[in-house]
Amino acid sequence: MIDWRLNLRAVIGRAYPRVIGSFREPSWLFFDIFLPLLGIAAFAFYYQALGAPSVFIGFVILGGAMTAYWLNVLWSMAAQFYWEKEVGNLQLYLMAPMSRMSVLAGMALGGIFFTSVRALSTLALGLLIFGIEIEITSPISLLVVFFLTLFALYGMGMMFSSLYLLYGRGVWHLSSVFQEPIYFVSGFYFPVKALGFWVSLLASIVPITLGLDAMRQLIFAGQETMGFLPVSVEIVVLILLAVVFIYGARVALNFMENLGKREGRLTLRWQ
Amino acid sequence: MAVNEHLRTIRWAAWLGWQMESNWTSPFLFIIYSIIKPIMATLIVVFMYLIILKSVNADPVLFSYMFIGNAFYMYVAQVLFGISWVVHEDREHYQTLKQIYIAPINFPVYLVGRGISKIIITTASVIVTLAFGILVLGLPVNIWKIDWPLLIVAMVLGLFCICTIGIALAGISLLTARHGTGINEGVAGVFYLFCGVIFPITFLPSWGQSIAFFIPITYWLELLRRSMMPETISISGLANYSAQEMMVLLLVSILLFLFFSLIILKYADFLARKKGKLDMTTAY
Amino acid sequence: MNNAVECRSLTRSFKGNAKQQAIIALDNIDLDVREGELFGLLGPNGAGKTTLIKILATLLLPSSGKVTVLGYDVEREAHKIRPRINMVSGGEFSGYGLLTVRENLWMFSQFYGIPTRIAKQRIDELLHDFELADKADAKVRTISTGQRQRMNVVRGFVTDPDLIFLDEPTLGLDVNSSRTIRDYIRRWVREQNGKTALITTHYMMEAEELCDRVAIIDRGRILACDSPCNLKKQVQRDAVFTLETTQFADLDSIGHISGVKGYTGETNGERQKIRIVAEEESVLAEVIQVIAGKGGKVISLTKVESTLEDVFLQLVGRGLI
Repeated sequence: MIDWRLNLRAVIGRAYPRVIGSFREPSWLFFDIFLPLLGIAAFAFYYQALGAPSVFIGFVILGGAMTAYWLNVLWSMAAQFYWEKEVGNLQLYLMAPMSRMSVLAGMALGGIFFTSVRALSTLALGLLIFGIEIEITSPISLLVVFFLTLFALYGMGMMFSSLYLLYGRGVWHLSSVFQEPIYFVSGFYFPVKALGFWVSLLASIVPITLGLDAMRQLIFAGQETMGFLPVSVEIVVLILLAVVFIYGARVALNFMENLGKREGRLTLRWQ
Repeated sequence: MAVNEHLRTIRWAAWLGWQMESNWTSPFLFIIYSIIKPIMATLIVVFMYLIILKSVNADPVLFSYMFIGNAFYMYVAQVLFGISWVVHEDREHYQTLKQIYIAPINFPVYLVGRGISKIIITTASVIVTLAFGILVLGLPVNIWKIDWPLLIVAMVLGLFCICTIGIALAGISLLTARHGTGINEGVAGVFYLFCGVIFPITFLPSWGQSIAFFIPITYWLELLRRSMMPETISISGLANYSAQEMMVLLLVSILLFLFFSLIILKYADFLARKKGKLDMTTAY
Repeated sequence: MNNAVECRSLTRSFKGNAKQQAIIALDNIDLDVREGELFGLLGPNGAGKTTLIKILATLLLPSSGKVTVLGYDVEREAHKIRPRINMVSGGEFSGYGLLTVRENLWMFSQFYGIPTRIAKQRIDELLHDFELADKADAKVRTISTGQRQRMNVVRGFVTDPDLIFLDEPTLGLDVNSSRTIRDYIRRWVREQNGKTALITTHYMMEAEELCDRVAIIDRGRILACDSPCNLKKQVQRDAVFTLETTQFADLDSIGHISGVKGYTGETNGERQKIRIVAEEESVLAEVIQVIAGKGGKVISLTKVESTLEDVFLQLVGRGLI
């Protein structure tokens, strides 16, 4: 039987260092809010140089803001268990009575909290600096899409965190190799539809692809024609992805734990 | 004597860097990895171009400007990243920074040595990207008309410049927590925005253009473009400068950056030791 | 009295690679640890102590054999064991450097579902007991190695386990810190009914001073298991000597003398200190002869009381470290 109270405490316990830690090192304000704006600005000026309509600059700002979540999932979720193993925390997590999923959920919750500060700051500042007007057609749908995207995305991160452990020292490179290709195929800086149906469809396995596409359609009224799929379809797919990834995370976690216990790899450093 | 010691430091630091870069997988996967990343990054700006202008031939000069700048910018992102990330990697992951620190070696030389493996890998990526541009996308660069002496001199100066900036960043990393890849990504963003990487600096507001003139990377990228595709001069906003003038400007700014980088590193080193940050771990 | 730990024919091996054969870390071990006992595992590095602890702490599965902890099978009933155990390893750097000592301890207590009010109260009491109260609000990355190790020991006790595994808990600590930890462990087991501690160490004195019973383990096998007093009695039938000699060529030759059960040698400048466990005193004559033959000279000779170290010497034939 699941002990909800125990697991809730574990979720809060693991989220705590992420929330508190990010505020204790104030250097993140500079690195995580101000500096990412520069890269976004570069793409915005690039669109201006190409003579693109201003809504494309809005697309770039939204995509740039969402990169915060993608980076957080790659570096602070997927690669996290490996880091935890290196410092010796992983064996303490595995020995404790709570569900391992609650540790992952705590990591995700804490990560979402401080990444949202970065993403929302980037979005607000970006729209303000470049004077981009937005027109939200359905605020409720937007919130639903946003949270579904985060659920599915962090579910994927939770699944990766266990699978990454199998790659040992290659973890860093694994995150690194996913970074730019996903920026490209998920359409962070342009509507994903431009990649064609099949590439867009394949890219949709990364939840942020459909999440971004739906959010663009909902934030920039009149741009529905640039959307890959209707928002309602994207919502359904995002729900499916969230379920699949969170279930996948549970399966991967059990697999990793059993493999680790058989082979004794979970508690050895530098593996 | 000292030169020999520095060379030895560079040699083993480069070997160490290479081991860390490459020994996590098979050579085949490593090559795929080294090719996929830069090509995908390039395809982002290529698609942005194609969505708006539909065809490479719509504005081949602007396309070349963007493509060459973006390809060589990889050195900035990768080598800067490579050098400054050493501090976080050695300090928090391998926890060897303190041993490196007390060893009788020159720390900036060690950092540059670690960056050498990045330079080698990035060179391969840049070549692959340019080849992809010419052969697949129709980038109008004729390799028989490239001004090789200009290209080679500019490359050497540029790489030296990137290493010096990397040293300054490594100094700052000594004092900062490990927030994902924040510092590298962010500082690389400064150069991406202000140095005329994917769009001419004339699109920047006037204060932005003033910043561009102060950063050596701006001149470096312009020299590289002129060596490969002289037609880009017409849109670069730097047509008033001759290649020789820019070479001198590049050299002077490198010396200035070197000076400031070493001061930053020295001061960061002082503060790190004063505040006991050389062996801190900041993951959360 | 129930057993807190039972191992029957426990074997654990690790896969080798192309160049290396499989490693047998634990070889057909039988072991019982009683409830309410302070039990010691004594052995050199690589003896299999940590592997055994990991199996008991549900972090590693046995290759074969049956293991129960607090009456539950470690393979099938780990979820019933985990709420009642905890583990502390010497030299571990767990926790997050950005959190304070108190916050780190609170975080780990949450993984055991302890209500915050109770957790905070326990943390304060334990920090006081471990002389860390003044560091409660210091960030973990700013405290010393010894303080960090004491914090880790507090982490182990804050969940109030029925069985605690202490893997070299005083490794590398100064005398005062080690004593604080040992005193607390002793009180914790003695003053509470049914609390069990299993401690691994390669400090002989620690095992002798702390433990109700000690198992001597080497190369994956339990060589003896009894109270320190009974173990020493085994050696009291033997003759234990220390010799101080000048340097000589081949210390190993002592081990080849018939009747010598074990020996250790320690060089101190020009001198050599040798400890020998022999079947009978008459062996000594041949020892002195061999030393002289190798160019050494005996400076002093003392017959000594046997210690756990001698038990180990007798069983293994070499020193612990």
